[in-house]
Amino acid sequence: MISWRGAEGRWIRADLRARRGEALLTVLTVAGIVAALIIAATLLEERTNPWRGLFERSRSAHIWIHSKDVPDVQALARLHGVTDVAGPYRSAPATLIHRGRRVPISLQEAPATPPAVARPLVREGGWLDPRTPGGVVVERSFARSLGLRPGDPFTVTGLNGATHALVVAGLAESGDQGFYPEWAPGLAWALGETLTTVEPAPGRTETVTGLRLGDPELTDLVVQRAVFTLRGQVQRVTTWREVRASMELDNRLLGLLLGLFGGAGLVAAALALANASGGRVLTQRRDIATLKSLGFTRGQVVRMLVAEHGALGFAGIGLGVAAAWLITVYALEETVAAPLSAGALAAIVLGTALVVLVAVLIPAWRGGLTPPIPATPAAPPRGRLSRLARLALLVRLPPALVLGARDSFTRRTPALLTVCGVAIPMMMITIGLGVWATLDDFLRHPEKVGQAAALTARPGRLTAEEMRARVMADPDVVAAYPGAEVDALVPGQTRTVRTRALGTSRDPYPFPVAEGRMFRERGEAVAGQGLLDLLGVRIGDRVRVTIGGTPLIVRIVGRVIEPEQDGEVLSLGVDSLAAKDADPPQFYGLVLRPGTDPAEVRSRLQAHGLEVDQAVNPAERLAVIRVIIVALVVVLALIGLVDLLTVSAIGLRDHLLDLAVLKAMGLTPRQVMATLVTATALPAVAGILIGSSAGALSAKALIDLEGHGSGVGAGIGRAPAPGMLAAEVVIAIAAVLLVALVPARRAARARIPSVR
Amino acid sequence: MTEPPVIQAINLVKIYQTGGVPVPAIRGVDLTVNPGEFVAIMGPSGSGKSTLIHLLGGLDTRTSGEIWLDGQRVDTLSESAWALLRRQKIGFVFQFFNLVANMTVADNVELPALLGGASPKVARERREYLLAELGLADRAGVSPAQLSGGEQQRVALARALANHPRLLLADEPTGNLDSRNTRDVLRLLSEVHRKGQTIVLVTHDARVAGMADRVVYLLDGQIVDDGPVAGVRRRIGGTAGDVVELRG
Repeated sequence: MISWRGAEGRWIRADLRARRGEALLTVLTVAGIVAALIIAATLLEERTNPWRGLFERSRSAHIWIHSKDVPDVQALARLHGVTDVAGPYRSAPATLIHRGRRVPISLQEAPATPPAVARPLVREGGWLDPRTPGGVVVERSFARSLGLRPGDPFTVTGLNGATHALVVAGLAESGDQGFYPEWAPGLAWALGETLTTVEPAPGRTETVTGLRLGDPELTDLVVQRAVFTLRGQVQRVTTWREVRASMELDNRLLGLLLGLFGGAGLVAAALALANASGGRVLTQRRDIATLKSLGFTRGQVVRMLVAEHGALGFAGIGLGVAAAWLITVYALEETVAAPLSAGALAAIVLGTALVVLVAVLIPAWRGGLTPPIPATPAAPPRGRLSRLARLALLVRLPPALVLGARDSFTRRTPALLTVCGVAIPMMMITIGLGVWATLDDFLRHPEKVGQAAALTARPGRLTAEEMRARVMADPDVVAAYPGAEVDALVPGQTRTVRTRALGTSRDPYPFPVAEGRMFRERGEAVAGQGLLDLLGVRIGDRVRVTIGGTPLIVRIVGRVIEPEQDGEVLSLGVDSLAAKDADPPQFYGLVLRPGTDPAEVRSRLQAHGLEVDQAVNPAERLAVIRVIIVALVVVLALIGLVDLLTVSAIGLRDHLLDLAVLKAMGLTPRQVMATLVTATALPAVAGILIGSSAGALSAKALIDLEGHGSGVGAGIGRAPAPGMLAAEVVIAIAAVLLVALVPARRAARARIPSVR
Repeated sequence: MTEPPVIQAINLVKIYQTGGVPVPAIRGVDLTVNPGEFVAIMGPSGSGKSTLIHLLGGLDTRTSGEIWLDGQRVDTLSESAWALLRRQKIGFVFQFFNLVANMTVADNVELPALLGGASPKVARERREYLLAELGLADRAGVSPAQLSGGEQQRVALARALANHPRLLLADEPTGNLDSRNTRDVLRLLSEVHRKGQTIVLVTHDARVAGMADRVVYLLDGQIVDDGPVAGVRRRIGGTAGDVVELRG
């Protein structure tokens, strides 16, 4: 296309050499954007589906074969595609008894040294120790739902009825099975002897063998072959696909936010690139005309410019990918297990590449249209005093500022591009501050997101009466609401929906009602936006749900802000439930006196034998958003800076001739400097003010829109804090003035340039 | 018989349409330049001299009339076709030098050769030859900003001659130079002309015009006089007195 060794290549190389700093800044900006997008997408992927990370880190098996007897491991290992075999391990079912609850559990044999394949990742406590044969490592989600901690004792009943006392040695995560309770029964790893103790009869155990594959796509094939090879021994097969599906959380809010920022980031990047390359081309019109007079065709010029500016963009993409990979591997080792999936990475790279091409194509095209006569550059088109300047004169502003005001809008399109190029990043930053303020609001007013009860108390070893008495006796507890969480079947859905009964209908829990009203009687309920979307109902409709086999008809009278389960939760009073589900209450939600430390109250109550959980504020769950906001602010600031530098350069070049005349007329260097600074800064400051006010006005609405779309519900949005907004605007204006000042100073003190 | 004229303009008209008022810059010019001729175009400001030379070089499009270059009709060519033609046949020298500031002198002079499809080796050889001829061999690696006006114009001349053009067009080549540099550039032009180069040159300076074979006077876009210069100086194999005069 273009000859890199020929004339075009010479020119490109010479041009890049001549403006190393500018070129580097462009490359860094694109690199920053790409890196930020990749890291944000990686974090998001990790959050919405933890399966990948766990699978990689624990080197899990793709296929688990459950068989009655020990299978032919050699034959399995020889199957094409199998790289490692985990096990075979014995597995026995049992019943776990803890604090009065009886829960089925699956005990799996595990060696004393953690295995290489399908290794459970110990998160708390330690691994199995032959010196403490009663120690058992419990899978973490299972342990969490039971309230088990390392060191807790529990009893296990075998199928023969004998009970054994075991103790929790540690908690571990694994990529081999899904989270409890979606995946049941819960899993625990024990030493072989422990297993034999619990379940001595070999006929009642089964064997699990894991196969790790080199290519996951061969899973179905290998399963078929394995079943064939084992000839009827196989009872059940599970694959990684089922595990992944069960672990997938659907965090729509995070996804939507990322999409919004990512899209806007790409748009801002396109504007910055277009501005930078457009400005560059504008300053090169003379050279382009010379090249044309030498015999460069229009097509050649366009291709050359696209190649030059496009090369910078692509270099930026490459650098960004490398930087993101480095940061992921070294800095985010704890948070992230695996780098971004290939599909998402390809999408980001291709998207940015497309943006780069489009952004450089337009200025390149316009550069190609330059007439081949390299005469002295035409003066800026306007001859009259613009309205703005006339206004400035009227207000008796100093002449330097008037001249600056006139100069700033002489070229309409570049001025407009500058205003947009600064306004859009400012708007994005302001909306980011709005999101920050929303998260702060969650933390400061947890009752507005449904967390009026900071603690949840479960009976533990006590009876329900004792629990109530104990709870009410505590001085810091203001109110205790009885509650139960049950799963309800709803029409038209294959999975269950969480139903939260808290408080009574007469004395309801203070749910944050955004629309409609709070329920007042039995048979009324409120729901989150997600549930309303899921069932396709509106406020005022009746819904029929089935809880524990019992049908229940409730009327939805209001919408609440519901950050749990993407808003798919139905909330009603305990008395609306059938007695068998609600009495005795599963837990009490405790509202504390304002100012008390929940952790303190929690330890106090736990000392009395209660099981107390602290509510996790959604702002803490969404903490990764704060990181993303900071990263995006940095990138957007970079983009704005590139814009400003370009504008400054163009402005200087346009008015170089004017400067000579003005100096001859008697303007002092300081006045000349003021003129130039005003000319550059005026559109930029206009952009800052427009952008930040647009952002401040729309932040609340946009965040509410996001909330609605993600199921949490509209009503969470907050405008950015006035203090932060003011700081943002002041810092931006100061940056603009600084960027405009440096070249203006240089130009003002330079000698009158000769006409060339 | 004889070769066709290098460049021939027939009833050339150029009218600029800026804003509402049409400005006629060239009003029916007939001009023929034969191979090896050195034509100087003179006239007061605004007479259309620069416009004429831009039209002859294809840098601007005519409103009506014909232009023939080496027996081929060229006024109807597109911008790209003109660009390809310029690579092979036309060299330009401007008043303000118009060297590419980012590139070294060597790159500037090699650019037309590379554009014409020559290999970098051939281009380099041609550049070394030209710069040596023009006395700039030691300035090859220097950026144009570090050269004096006269040196820059000599580099521009080298660049214009890089592809052995049929026609050398010069728009006020000495307009921006002091008298000493003017003498140097003029001497180079006459040397080049002596070797057979066809030159059409626009100038204000009578001394420059005096070096030409023929002077064409333009006034308000029309030719008012076209005749040979008194041929005293153009003697080949002159005496020592001529040499002294040239170097003076």
